[in-house]
Amino acid sequence: MEQASEIGIVMRLSDKISGAWRKSLDLLAGRRATTNSRTKEEELFIRAHDLVRAGEFKKAVAALADATAVAPDLVAALETQGELYDMLGQPEKAMSLYEAGRKLKRGLRPGAPDRLFVLRRPGRSTAEIAAYTTVIQSVKQRVLPLIARGNAFLVEGRPAEALADYDAALKLKPGLSDILVLKAEALLMMGQFEQAAAAFDSACAVQPRNADFLSGRAIARLALGRLQDADADWRLQFDLLPKDRAAARGCVALRLADYEKALPEFERALEKEPFDPYWRLYRLTALHRLGRPAVFDDAPRRDEWPAPLFELYVAPPSAAVALAHADNDERTVEALFQLAVLALPNDPAEARRRFNQVVEKASPSMVEYAAARHELASLGA
Amino acid sequence: MFSVILYGRNDSHGYNLHKRAAISFNAIAEVMSDPDDELLFVDYNTPDDHPTFPEAIQDTLTDKAKKVMRVFRVRPEQHVHLRARTHLVALEAQSRNVALRRSNPRNRWILYTNTDMLLVPRDEKESLSDILGSIPDGFYQVPRFELPEMLWEAAFDRRDPAGNLAKLRDWSMRFHLNQVVLNHMPMRYDALGDFQAALREDMFAIHGFDEEMLLGWHCDSNLAARLALYRGSVDTLIDKVFGYHCDHTRVAAANNKGRQTKMNDHDRFLWNVSSPYLPAQAETWGWPDLEVEEIRLDRDTAFERFAAGIGAAIQPAAEPYRTTNVEWHLFHDLTYDLPHTLPFVCDQVLTYPRDSALMIVGTRADFLRHFATAWRAMGFSGPILVPDECEGLPVDIPGVEAGPFADLLRRSDMFIFEFGLATQAIDDPVRTGRHPQVIDEKRLKVVSRLLRQAASLEEETRPKGRRLPRRFIGVNVIYNRFWPLFTDYVSANINPFCGQVLAGIPRIAPGMKGKVLRFRGRHAI
Repeated sequence: MEQASEIGIVMRLSDKISGAWRKSLDLLAGRRATTNSRTKEEELFIRAHDLVRAGEFKKAVAALADATAVAPDLVAALETQGELYDMLGQPEKAMSLYEAGRKLKRGLRPGAPDRLFVLRRPGRSTAEIAAYTTVIQSVKQRVLPLIARGNAFLVEGRPAEALADYDAALKLKPGLSDILVLKAEALLMMGQFEQAAAAFDSACAVQPRNADFLSGRAIARLALGRLQDADADWRLQFDLLPKDRAAARGCVALRLADYEKALPEFERALEKEPFDPYWRLYRLTALHRLGRPAVFDDAPRRDEWPAPLFELYVAPPSAAVALAHADNDERTVEALFQLAVLALPNDPAEARRRFNQVVEKASPSMVEYAAARHELASLGA
Repeated sequence: MFSVILYGRNDSHGYNLHKRAAISFNAIAEVMSDPDDELLFVDYNTPDDHPTFPEAIQDTLTDKAKKVMRVFRVRPEQHVHLRARTHLVALEAQSRNVALRRSNPRNRWILYTNTDMLLVPRDEKESLSDILGSIPDGFYQVPRFELPEMLWEAAFDRRDPAGNLAKLRDWSMRFHLNQVVLNHMPMRYDALGDFQAALREDMFAIHGFDEEMLLGWHCDSNLAARLALYRGSVDTLIDKVFGYHCDHTRVAAANNKGRQTKMNDHDRFLWNVSSPYLPAQAETWGWPDLEVEEIRLDRDTAFERFAAGIGAAIQPAAEPYRTTNVEWHLFHDLTYDLPHTLPFVCDQVLTYPRDSALMIVGTRADFLRHFATAWRAMGFSGPILVPDECEGLPVDIPGVEAGPFADLLRRSDMFIFEFGLATQAIDDPVRTGRHPQVIDEKRLKVVSRLLRQAASLEEETRPKGRRLPRRFIGVNVIYNRFWPLFTDYVSANINPFCGQVLAGIPRIAPGMKGKVLRFRGRHAI
């Protein structure tokens, strides 16, 4: 009888300890989630990870489900839910979540192929921000975790936080060109073009023939109105890019509005990726600008961007329809650029107006921005 | 769809290496289903007189494993420039890059793993080719599950990969094998080097493995760091495939010396990595300009080459056996049975590069004629060099070149010194107490002198660019009066008389005796 009551006390005590442990983890999750300006989905993702570490798989699944409700494109949340269902002994459910994540990933479009590797990544980096935040707490005074998290912030479109990480990394490795160029890209994203150009100059001084570095510097220079300097960088980048990176070479040529150079590159890019809608669109653009007949084989599915832009080449241009389909700023810019290109042979004034709209609305890092600036220069604007 | 890249060396490490490697090769081949799939094994720095590791265990491999395997042989001479910078005899980064450079360009994926892994698709209807064909671009890892040493040693049949994979599916649950060991990013899991799948295109873009990593360990983490930077994320294939590692901790690996183990600098090669790229090796990784021999196990095998050589050179025996005699009173009888000896001589050269230049210094014209026939039929393309000093040897045979010994010495990659009787015909009886004639003695004296010279001058007469000692093969140098001479100059093992052949690299004893030998050799006394 006495023994049974002792067991009861021990069990109650262990319950209390375990409860306190879980509570402290919850508190920790909450505290960590508020140390930076975190997004809702990031908070949920970090909380889910802390819950996994505490062995609370079901609560973690719920947190991840909330995260995917907020951010349906969060592949990592789907994948982690899959792992949790696996560990809960529900492999069928797990498999469907893994597959859903992969399907989502397959549909993501990478960034422009002529840009720095970080900016070519598709998708979200919420999981990486969380993971490298943990690493930074354990592995101090080393640059990799800082660079990796900075890159994740950059991909998430949070350049100020990326810059903080890059600056911290540069304190450890002052003047390292690999970090300087990342810092420059963050500054570029923040619109601080003077500082970005200066950082690119420092990086390019160390690696003057690095095609990725030149790409960023050209954009910064163009944004500052230094068209000739930008062109020099792009021309060198084009020469430095290997022949097998045809899409990248095509994009550089298109930024220069050099359609003679761009056309064969996009044709070769299509040999490798025959269904890529943008390489097809840009090929069409080049053909049109060179005054050559364009052949329409199979346009992308009508409901998928940039299908409405192909339509412009088939039917009489309907600006309103094309612009109506553009559901974000980048797509609007793409539509405006195509409208300008189509207007150019018969209505230069209209073309000029559209190119000006592109320059006003677009980020300087967009291919269309640089191409429009070059077209305007040719039009004498 | 994918190229698997493995590396190793035929150095008889550990008592059960051969078994786990065969299990692994066969199991990996078993989950391949695309015609372009390949298993690339870089055989790094195996001694020239050994077969490569896969050749040594080829009888334990399945037909499918032999069909998909391509063996790239990196010779000791090709490694020697790195020897001063590392204590290791097999280098991971160099090996994996040699294979990557030469991988099938049609394949989308490169899978890095090791020769003790079994990869088990969770859906047994799917192959690894199906799996890799269905996933989006990325950089994928899977956790490594450990397999107790006794299980694979005792219960696996190395030639039954399907059965082994089925056993693993059962054991994984029965013996609770599947424990995922998570790790810090960018190493998503512990022991990540046993499954890293990357796009071939990405591997070329980041310039392969870091070839500055010469001390062993962390090559996998370095790759993970650089690919994670490049791709942004480290993806998992845990839903598709489980990886099992044949535990082998009874005998520590060659590069595992406990806390005294030398390693690549963890900070330099992992935590302070700042870029995916390695511009310093952009043009040179994987040694693109180096001619690396490729060996197949399903065609043109060592045995096929050997049989072709012997078949072309000699007729099969017409009698059940012949005899020779090792009694001491026959010490001065230098007759030997050429058809019996020739296969043992061929065996000594078969593992060497096919473009090797071989010098023959000998007495018997029929030896040279028969060996030259076998040499060509074994697929060798290099010349047979015969010094002008060796009178009576035929030099009108295709592929045989004659010239002054001093000139040929600088062209030769290996040597055969044959000590027979010039007067012996191929059908003469052997070891019956025959004495050499004057002409025999005259020619034997030349062979002896040239052996001394070649061995004494070996280091300073190597062909341009060659840094390792050349091989000396002695024919008819056992239990006769040339045994002491040959072994004074060449570090040969004790071999059975029956083979009639000794071989080794020049080694002249230190001390006064060595000085005298070297002096005699150098001055042709």
